[in-house]
Amino acid sequence: MERTAESGALVTYLADPATTPWRRGTTEGITFNCQVLLDGEEGGPEAIRFRFDPTLSVYAHMHLTAQFQLLIGGSMNFSRDALNLRPVGVHYTDHNTPYGPFSVGEGHDVLVLHPKQGGLMTMGNLTARREINLAGRVLQGLDSETEWTSVDGAPDVRYKVLIPHAHGPEVVMLECAPGLEVPVEAAPYGRYEVVLSGSMIADGRDLGPPGFRYTLGEERPAPVQAGPNGATLIFLTFDANALEGGLTGEGIALAAAEAMAQAI
Amino acid sequence: MSEAVEEKGYKSNAEVPVVVFADFVCPWSYIVQDNIDRLAVEYGVKPQWKPHWLHPEVPPEGQPAHGSSSERRDAMREWMKELSPERAAKMRSPDKLQFSFLAFEALTYAEQYDKALPFKAGVFEALWVEGKDIANVETLKDAAEGAGLDPEDLHRALAEGEYRQRTFEYVKAAQRAGIHKTPTMILGRTMIPGYHYYEVMQTALEKQGVMPMASAASE
Repeated sequence: MERTAESGALVTYLADPATTPWRRGTTEGITFNCQVLLDGEEGGPEAIRFRFDPTLSVYAHMHLTAQFQLLIGGSMNFSRDALNLRPVGVHYTDHNTPYGPFSVGEGHDVLVLHPKQGGLMTMGNLTARREINLAGRVLQGLDSETEWTSVDGAPDVRYKVLIPHAHGPEVVMLECAPGLEVPVEAAPYGRYEVVLSGSMIADGRDLGPPGFRYTLGEERPAPVQAGPNGATLIFLTFDANALEGGLTGEGIALAAAEAMAQAI
Repeated sequence: MSEAVEEKGYKSNAEVPVVVFADFVCPWSYIVQDNIDRLAVEYGVKPQWKPHWLHPEVPPEGQPAHGSSSERRDAMREWMKELSPERAAKMRSPDKLQFSFLAFEALTYAEQYDKALPFKAGVFEALWVEGKDIANVETLKDAAEGAGLDPEDLHRALAEGEYRQRTFEYVKAAQRAGIHKTPTMILGRTMIPGYHYYEVMQTALEKQGVMPMASAASE
C-alpha cells in the first residue's frame, strides 16, 4: 500500500523499542548500534534509533527526505551551525539538506525520524553536492531553552514548543498527568508522537520511552492517553516538505539507498 | 555569456554580484576562500569581501577564547580536515580571540587598489598558518607588501583612520542586510548563509544562468 498524504486515508504505525532487536552497524569507519523501528517499506515512514560510539567527527551527509533527529541521550555538536544538541533536543532538516560533520559524546541515543525512506548520502560525493537543496531549512530546539506553558482550565497538562508551527515543521512537548486523554489533530504530512518518560496508551497498546506512534492522513487519529504514572510526550509534525525527495530509484537515490542498506 | 545573464541586465559574468561577508577570525571564512577564488577563475565573477564583524566586544589587544572546550577544538580540527584537508594540515588555532576591525580597515584600503583578494589571503594566512596577531599593524603591512601594496602608505592610512568610517558602514550594511552567519555568500540573487561546498555555489550561479567561462565561450 502506498501510504501518502494524497490518499488522505488515516494510517498509523506503532513502534516499541522494548521489543525491537539491536544491530551493530558501521559507515565510513563510524560505528554504532541501531534499532530499525520502522523500515519505510511500501512508502511508509522510516524510523531508526542510533547509539553512535563517541567520535570527534561523523562525516557530513544528507538524507533524501525530511528528517527529525530527536536526541534523548548523550550529545551531538554540529559544526557549521555551532549547535550543541543536548537531550531533549531536536534537529530538523528538509530533504537533501546536508548537516555535519558533527561530534558525538558518551551515552548517545537518538531517534532519526523520516516520513519515508531517505537513504544516506555522504557529502564527499561531488555529484550529490550538486543535488543539495539550496532552500533547505535547518531548525533546532532544545528542551532546556524553552519554558513550560500552562493551559487555562487544564491543570493536568502543560506544554512547551521546541520548534514553532510558523517555521513549517512543528515540535511540541507535553507533560501529562496520569490517565490524561490527549486529543490530537490530523497530520496530513505525518507526525511522530514519542514517549519521553512515563508511558502512553496509543491504539490500545502501552508504550514506554522512546516508543511512538506515527500518524498520517486527513482524518484525526484516536486520542492517546497518558499511562498510570503520567507521561512526557513529544509530537514532531512534518510539513509539505515531507512530500519531496525520497528514494526515486534514479541518480543519487540509488547510491543513497545502497549506503543506508550497507550501514544498517 | 549566457542569455539568462543578459536578460538580468548583466553584460558579463564579471557584473554578477558576488559578495562574501566574512571575518578573518572565523575558520569557516578561512576555508571558504578557496571556493570563492575558484569561482572567480572558473566563472569570471569578481568577488568582493566585506566585513561581518563577529566579535566587536573584543578589545584591540584580544581576549582569551573562553567557552571553547578542548573537545570542541579537537572536533573542529577533525571537521576542518574533512572539509578542507589541505588547509587543515597547515592550520593552527590562535591562542586568543583576536581583534579584527583593523584588518577590515586595511581590507577597505586594499579594495581601493584592486588588491583586496590577495590582501585577504595574506591576512588569513598570517592568522591561521603563521599564528600572527592581525590586530598588529606590522602583520597587516606584511600582508599588504605580499599583495603588492605600499605597506607604509597602509600604515599611514590606518593611523589616520582614513578608511574607518567606510569600514563601519560596511559592517552596518551587513547588519541591515540580515547577515547572521559567517561566512555568508551573496551569489547574484541567492544568499548562502554559512560555509558551503563549491558545487553548491556552482548550482546557485548556474540556476541564474551564470555559466562557467569555458562553456560560456563555447556557446
